[in-house]
Amino acid sequence: MMRTKFPRRTAAGISALLVSAVLAACSANGSPVTDAGNTSTAGGTQVKGGTIVYAAEQEPPCLAGGWLQQAYIDRNILDSLVTETSSGAIKPWLATSWTVSPNGLTYTFNLKPGVKFTDGTPLNAQAIVVNFNYWEKGGDSTAQVSLDPYFKEAVAVNATTVQVELNKPYLPLLTMLSQGYFGIQSPASLKRSTQAQCDDPIGSGAFEVKQWIHGQELILVKNPDYTSWPSTALHQGPAIVNEIDWKFLPDATERYAALTTGEANLMYDIPTVDWTSAKANYQVTQYITPGKPVSLYLNTSHGVFTDVRVRQALAYGADREAAVETAFHGVIPYENNPSVSKATPGYDAAVDSAYPYDPAKANQLLNAAGWTGRDAAGYRTKDGKELDVKLVYPASSVITDEGATLLQILQQQWKQIGFNVTLIPETPAETFGGAYSTDTSYDAMPWYWTSPSPAILWIVWRPGTASDPNYNDSSFYTNTQLGNIIADGNTASTTAQADTYYAQAQQLIQNEEPVVGLYDQTMSIAVAKNLHDVWLEASQGEPVFEDAYFTK
Amino acid sequence: MSAVGEATVTVASRRPSAPPVARTARRVIVKVVTAIGVLIAAATVTYFSQFLVPGNRAVAIMNAQTGQSIQYSAAQLAPVNKEFGFNNPIVVQYLHYIGGLFRGNLGTSYTQYKPVTQVIGAELVPSLELTVGALVAAWIIALAVILLTVKRRGFISALGSTWEALTASLPTYWIGVVLLVVFAVEIRIFPVIGGTTPWGTVLPVLTLAIPLAGFLGQVTRDEFEKVLDQPFITTARTRGMGDTAVRLVHALRHAVLPAITLSGWALGSLISGAVLVENLFGRPGIGQVLVTAVNTRDFPVVSGVVLVVAAVYIIANLLVDLTYTLIDPRMREK
Repeated sequence: MMRTKFPRRTAAGISALLVSAVLAACSANGSPVTDAGNTSTAGGTQVKGGTIVYAAEQEPPCLAGGWLQQAYIDRNILDSLVTETSSGAIKPWLATSWTVSPNGLTYTFNLKPGVKFTDGTPLNAQAIVVNFNYWEKGGDSTAQVSLDPYFKEAVAVNATTVQVELNKPYLPLLTMLSQGYFGIQSPASLKRSTQAQCDDPIGSGAFEVKQWIHGQELILVKNPDYTSWPSTALHQGPAIVNEIDWKFLPDATERYAALTTGEANLMYDIPTVDWTSAKANYQVTQYITPGKPVSLYLNTSHGVFTDVRVRQALAYGADREAAVETAFHGVIPYENNPSVSKATPGYDAAVDSAYPYDPAKANQLLNAAGWTGRDAAGYRTKDGKELDVKLVYPASSVITDEGATLLQILQQQWKQIGFNVTLIPETPAETFGGAYSTDTSYDAMPWYWTSPSPAILWIVWRPGTASDPNYNDSSFYTNTQLGNIIADGNTASTTAQADTYYAQAQQLIQNEEPVVGLYDQTMSIAVAKNLHDVWLEASQGEPVFEDAYFTK
Repeated sequence: MSAVGEATVTVASRRPSAPPVARTARRVIVKVVTAIGVLIAAATVTYFSQFLVPGNRAVAIMNAQTGQSIQYSAAQLAPVNKEFGFNNPIVVQYLHYIGGLFRGNLGTSYTQYKPVTQVIGAELVPSLELTVGALVAAWIIALAVILLTVKRRGFISALGSTWEALTASLPTYWIGVVLLVVFAVEIRIFPVIGGTTPWGTVLPVLTLAIPLAGFLGQVTRDEFEKVLDQPFITTARTRGMGDTAVRLVHALRHAVLPAITLSGWALGSLISGAVLVENLFGRPGIGQVLVTAVNTRDFPVVSGVVLVVAAVYIIANLLVDLTYTLIDPRMREK
């Protein structure tokens, strides 16, 4: 069968979002999340120049935009105001310092003086204002959805001072700004045609676009006049290598083969079957993406899951942890918290122990909910109706082949307690066309949404209103109490306070179970041993190449 | 294939002894008009089939832009509907699209914001290199196997037909992975990431050529066996002609006709089916463009690729007709 890998990780796209804090820095295997090269500089002398061949996966239709794959590229072309460290702290970049007014409504950024875009335009306060307006008008869908309810205006106070005014306090603002979606582009370049902006975004970053051969590769060349590296950079100065050859190789077998023959110096997304061999031969880094993990939305407005007991029975009714272990060869971590992943700041570890595998409890809940009959096939019934679940999954994109295996294992276990789960793979065309997006078209659907902040809770669970419906809530679960708790978290004045609210929200979601936890969204890279200091930034796992160098 | 019979007449008319020029001109005009008709029909079918896929076009554009699968409010969709004219009656939109085709305007991609001609144009040459290369390589392999194994000792003949049956049924992706692992990873003769370099094109071409060669070989083999039993072959042999010469000069000419007919079909199917190979070897090409466009419901690009493939079919079948008359002189006499 043809494997179309198109929207891989696109859900990530719109995700983006908010706030700061701590990035849990451990993968399942305990390897560090970032700074891959730091530990292994031993052996060989540093070489100046060279070309890094990166076996990447997906080619976005445009280089600039709100998909995660676009942020990966843009991180190397565009600079941002601030950056996040792996401990969740916000550090200076284009903004050398900033202050927040006591009421939390005004952020004043002081810019590094003398920075120029690669087209010669000065990077001053006015340029920042133009970018804020561009995001707010939808120039980048992720940036827009992240700013929308809170952003009021940006004002240039003088050449190097920008003030950002908010409608209400928004603690996550700085963390949000650290993502690649908020890369600052040249105001002159934003006046060009959509096509030019699409093919060649102009920033002040360590690299610029040299050539884009569609369907094959993007060649980035070093910006020799680079002056605006972030405070977290591993070296001072322009990039050490001359070029990055960013190859688009959708097939994982080919990517790994290219790494083993030395044609590529690093690869994206190591196949789980090659994990052991990759760890033995390369520098392997796994990044657990913060935000909503891959979890199963249950339709709470129509069908069997309108009853909370049936939702809870589903969570109790399968050994999800063992199934994840089996399906992903132990490489991808199980995630029982359905609302935020363990790498998300403000993650509430207490939520993680809910719903252990307990078929007796599941049966008890289903009996209590009235699903007491059994039909010839062994499925439960109630008033002559079978306990049917239509589980629709975005095949080969959000849910990989291994993800589909996981669903099949769970399907078998759920059958034991009387659920008749039908798995429906959804094609990418159907996914984008919204074929299964209405509240009567499915009972369950797995999806994820990356974000460096627990404010992702607001994006997903904000109670919709008639005039402003929340289509991001794929469980159709409107809970005003939950909405208020999350909103209090977003506007809290300290991170500690905010996290208390976010923890409450996670507990409420886990109790009500409109969504069932499955596994973490991850990304991984394997780097050849003669290439050092390629690192993944903390907010989204964007690979950073400006510090990278080869050794002889 | 009906085109075959028709073509015999057309080409025959170009001979000095053929009917008047006016008749030739009429034939040519009929051919051209038919070709245009086929292209418009292809565009029309593609145009209306986009409405058969569930979901709204504006929603698809928004979801592809943001990477989601959700609904949108009317206010959110309004700018998209306006930009692409989705509010106009379908008939008006259709006529606008077909009208554009006559002006060489295939529309603008919904996801790349550039003219479809540009999106496809850049990828067409690598695709043609791959598919024409695969067709040529398939013929070379098929002919070599046929000439060497048909009507030889039982063991050798069996080997040839087994090879054909086996390769014709192998999945393309599997062949590609095996070639990649053997000839690029284990024995490092060819690059893994070949791109469009000639050396890097070898494995992709072979991946497509091997199953096609098996298929062409199967078709040719039966015919070749029958021909070798014909009296004129015996006559040639009695004249003292060597076995190789008999096979090459007399038998082959008769035996390849069915496979040539199939080559027209093969070229078209190769160009639209090349996506697996393009993905596996990291090669640009319209196969990839098509799959991406179908996934994101980028209709103008899908339709553009359909038109290109239709055009390739038309041209390939014309070439088949021509080749027929070159190989079989009787076609010219009729």
